[in-house]
Amino acid sequence: MDNAAILVATAAVLSVWIAIFIYLWRIDAAARALRRELEREREHNDASTPSATVNRVREAGEPVERR
Amino acid sequence: MMQRLAQAAKIGIGVWMAGVIIATFLIVPQYEGLGEAGRIVIVHVPTAWVSVVAFTISAIFSGLYLWRRRERDDHIAVAAAEAGLLFTILATVTGMIFSQVAWGIFWNWDPRQTSIFVLLLIYAALFALRAAIDDVDRRRQLSAVYSLFAFVTMPFLFFVAPRIADSTLHPNCAFIQGSNCDGVVLEVGKVGLIGDQKVQLLGLERQGNLIVAEVKVSTPGLQQEAILYPSLDLVDGGMAARPEFPGSRFQLGLEEYDEATGAVRLNMEAPGTQLLENRRTLYTFLAANLGFTALFFWMLQVRSLVLNVQWAVAQRGRA
Repeated sequence: MDNAAILVATAAVLSVWIAIFIYLWRIDAAARALRRELEREREHNDASTPSATVNRVREAGEPVERR
Repeated sequence: MMQRLAQAAKIGIGVWMAGVIIATFLIVPQYEGLGEAGRIVIVHVPTAWVSVVAFTISAIFSGLYLWRRRERDDHIAVAAAEAGLLFTILATVTGMIFSQVAWGIFWNWDPRQTSIFVLLLIYAALFALRAAIDDVDRRRQLSAVYSLFAFVTMPFLFFVAPRIADSTLHPNCAFIQGSNCDGVVLEVGKVGLIGDQKVQLLGLERQGNLIVAEVKVSTPGLQQEAILYPSLDLVDGGMAARPEFPGSRFQLGLEEYDEATGAVRLNMEAPGTQLLENRRTLYTFLAANLGFTALFFWMLQVRSLVLNVQWAVAQRGRA
């Protein structure tokens, strides 16, 4: 193979690699952005949903305490 | 901080692999007997190596899934199996190209080719299995069990089967001195096998300092026969004439001559053997191994992340 042919082969393989790299990079970035979005949404939902904590379970027959 | 390091590592993989490509074509020298095609070993072996790593990771995370029942373990196991299958296909295709150059045929059901084909079928069946089960938990559980069984076959198909078979043409001698590198010892009139070529020693003749063997060579299926005359220099003990086997670039060498018994050791000089003795080829080969391994881990991270996000979106849809 002459010198020009091997340079063409190198350029072709490099182009394929650059295309694969950009494709992978973009998928990576998109997936991370989507995950961040989902996490933000989950945190927002957790913060806006009313919540209560159970401290004590009333015994049967025990009068209900009213405030 | 970790985010920036990860980004820098990804850019590093891009630059490193670009360097490997440039080195493969412009720095690695041509290999005698294979010409430009010898460069394919820089891609062929690392892709095979990465598929071994990928299937191992798939099996580890399948086991972890069965133990902890976390969906993330299943996602990593699937992502690793997918990448493993992809790299095995790449190794098979590059091997076929090498085979065409060295043996004159893309596919000849050599033990190495047959075993990798079986491995491809086994892992392709994993995805068929996953696609066939609708229940998510059951799909994960069964595919994890299947992945563990598939992994048990992998070392045998990758490493053992091609090496215990006497009739492989795969140049194992480039990396490991196995039993297939020893050749055959024959007396006049005797028949033996080197790779998948039948050889018969018809006669020996002394010509000055040389001992010349007359060898009848038959290709598999006896499709081609030829008489070859390899010779050995008795003064320095080195091989002299090394004729090529019919239809391939493999050479027949006369390695030893025992004057007392009249026996000779005949061997196949495979293109690709001692390919890595050249320093530039060796360093590029090692760099390619490192680059492909890092690329695999990046692909694994991206694919498992995509699967995690898909799962989270599906869960949100249900809720």
